[in-house]
Amino acid sequence: MAAPGFIIAALVFSCLAANSCAVTFSSLPNNLIVSASTKQGQVLKAGEDKITITWSLNTSLPAGTDSSYHMVEVKLCYAPISQQDRAWRRTEDDLTRDKTCQHKIVTRPYSRSNNTFTWTVQKDVPTATYFIRAYVQNSHDEEVAYGQTTDSHKATNLFDVQAISGRHASLDIASVCFSAFSLVSLFGFFFMEKRKAKSSQQK
Amino acid sequence: MADIEGYPGSSMHGVTGREPVLAFSVASPMVPTDTTAKFDLPVDSEHKAKKFKIFSFANPHMRTFHLSWISFFTCFVSTFAAAPLVPIIRDNLNLTKSDIGNAGVASVSGSIFSRLVMGAVCDLVGPRYGCVFLIMLSAPTVFCMSFVSSAGGYLAVRFMIGFSLATFVSCQFWMSTMFNSKIIGLVNGTAAGWGNMGGGATQLIMPFLYDIIKRTGATPFTAWRIAFFIPGWLHVIMGILVITLGQDLPDGNLSTLQKKGDVAKDQFGKVFWNAVTNYRTWIFVLLYGYSMGVELSTDNVIAEYFYDRFDLNLHTAGIIAATFGMANLVARPFGGFASDYTAKRFGMRGRLWTVWILQTLGGAFCLLLGRSNSLPLAVTFMIIFSIGAQAACGATFGIIPFISRRSLGVISGMTGAGGNFGSGLTQLLFFTSSKYSTATGLTYMGIMIMACTLPVTLVHFPQWGSMFLPPTKDTVKGTEEHYYSSEYTEEEKAKGMHQNSLKFAENSRSERGNRVASAPTPPSSTPNHV
Repeated sequence: MAAPGFIIAALVFSCLAANSCAVTFSSLPNNLIVSASTKQGQVLKAGEDKITITWSLNTSLPAGTDSSYHMVEVKLCYAPISQQDRAWRRTEDDLTRDKTCQHKIVTRPYSRSNNTFTWTVQKDVPTATYFIRAYVQNSHDEEVAYGQTTDSHKATNLFDVQAISGRHASLDIASVCFSAFSLVSLFGFFFMEKRKAKSSQQK
Repeated sequence: MADIEGYPGSSMHGVTGREPVLAFSVASPMVPTDTTAKFDLPVDSEHKAKKFKIFSFANPHMRTFHLSWISFFTCFVSTFAAAPLVPIIRDNLNLTKSDIGNAGVASVSGSIFSRLVMGAVCDLVGPRYGCVFLIMLSAPTVFCMSFVSSAGGYLAVRFMIGFSLATFVSCQFWMSTMFNSKIIGLVNGTAAGWGNMGGGATQLIMPFLYDIIKRTGATPFTAWRIAFFIPGWLHVIMGILVITLGQDLPDGNLSTLQKKGDVAKDQFGKVFWNAVTNYRTWIFVLLYGYSMGVELSTDNVIAEYFYDRFDLNLHTAGIIAATFGMANLVARPFGGFASDYTAKRFGMRGRLWTVWILQTLGGAFCLLLGRSNSLPLAVTFMIIFSIGAQAACGATFGIIPFISRRSLGVISGMTGAGGNFGSGLTQLLFFTSSKYSTATGLTYMGIMIMACTLPVTLVHFPQWGSMFLPPTKDTVKGTEEHYYSSEYTEEEKAKGMHQNSLKFAENSRSERGNRVASAPTPPSSTPNHV
């Protein structure tokens, strides 16, 4: 049984050496307390409304837990209902392949408490239901802990964002104008040619 | 000898055209040159060009060629313009996977019918007006993308834009009025391939435009709408160019065309019945659905696939997706070439094996594409898949002219429609439901391609055999003349309606391959190399 043991040891060693092992979400401790100014079911307008996020270390943890904590990255994440039938938002345990949190809010150096940020919901945020999650990274940019505004089932304290439509009156008008131009020139040229053909036939 | 003008389905003549092999020009003794005509190219007695000079824009022949293939290219660009932008559109409109899939199906379904209608339109008012009307009436549908705010609207607009793919028919018809039937094969094959490239070019163009527009300050959800204006303008520009620079006939005479369109020497009902009762028609309808059909489906899903699976940005995903469609520049003509090349030695059996090998290869690499987890492997498999599928398209049309002489037009039209139908079906089955991922969808599509290519083993010609069986030993039934004249009833034969088919039968003896011993080498199958 030495062979499998050797293989495992080799894998672990290469992982530590290469630092390229995939971090899984299930391995991260929920050590941050994150809260946001949003209420359950509130609808925010993209480009207009703001969210204030505060985060701090859970004080009931033993001292030294945060010795490797370096940066905090706060992200906007899709709630399960907005992930249905949309595989491009799916949750995977392997964090390099996880697509739950696609919108970055802010990245800040880690500090134990007094962390606040007010974010205006950006214009490219789609219409969906969200929660907020903060990942703590060590100095090698690997996730080592997290905190989120919802529970472990991602069912409580969710809020909605209403996206901008992307439509503009000027675009609509331009669209109508060009369409009209297309139709007018089509029939214009057509009747001009018919008239020329008739007049040349009459000659 | 010119075809009977106005013959039903003659609008589709030359769509396939394997009549001269690899010919860029027709030598004078075969088709006499009209020396009184003052055109840039040598012409025959109808003033159709006998030579194909690709890089010339001379009026009217080469100018027609370029106006025609660029119009078709433009329609391909606008029909598939949404595909590389789906990652943005799906967020803007809150689309689910089934919304995206259904819109993809809709984008290829409209043209099943519009292609059939376009055939009639070309016969009635001519291909120039057919092209112009379609391209300029579909320009507003492209501009309509700026209004879309829901999944239903998105589907409706993609459906309407998809009608413009009928420019394929006007493109091919128009060139059959400008080029001699002995070189129409290569001319039309080149135009079809270059037009299809639009599906690839759009994967490059649209993300590029989107990037530029975003840089000027537009938000993503507005930028993609603005990007759609460019294909819309292309429609309008091409429409104006065609109507001002194009002409219906080499002599520019519209009324003669209208007169010719009235002359119908055969009955549509009989021609149609002859087509649908020939089992080979249906086998090739199925096959084309799994070569051209999967090409169109892949045009719709491949950019989004690379964006999601390999975490590429829109621009890079677009470049990779573009190489799929752009392979048409050479892959489709290569398929036709491969078919002709194997036919020289092995006759029709060689052609059948060529289609089977190319299409099965395409299917195998589609399967591997779905299974590959690394980017370089995925790109490699995708390129081989594209060459296989597109060459199979070209090779399929190397066989179509031989299925029937009487119903060539209808069979070509049905095959083309089968391509679109196959595309709609594969998108519906594999890329619409959330039951499996796009990667799994590609794998299953690859399996289905290989399965649906197997029926080609059943295609049997009494005079030439099939992939596994030799030709029949019966001395009467085993002749080309018998096969082609049996498409007519005895009364019709008494009227002499089958004379053209007899001529064709004689020429088609080349499909016996090397076994042609006593029959004289027919002039039309001798390749004329430039």
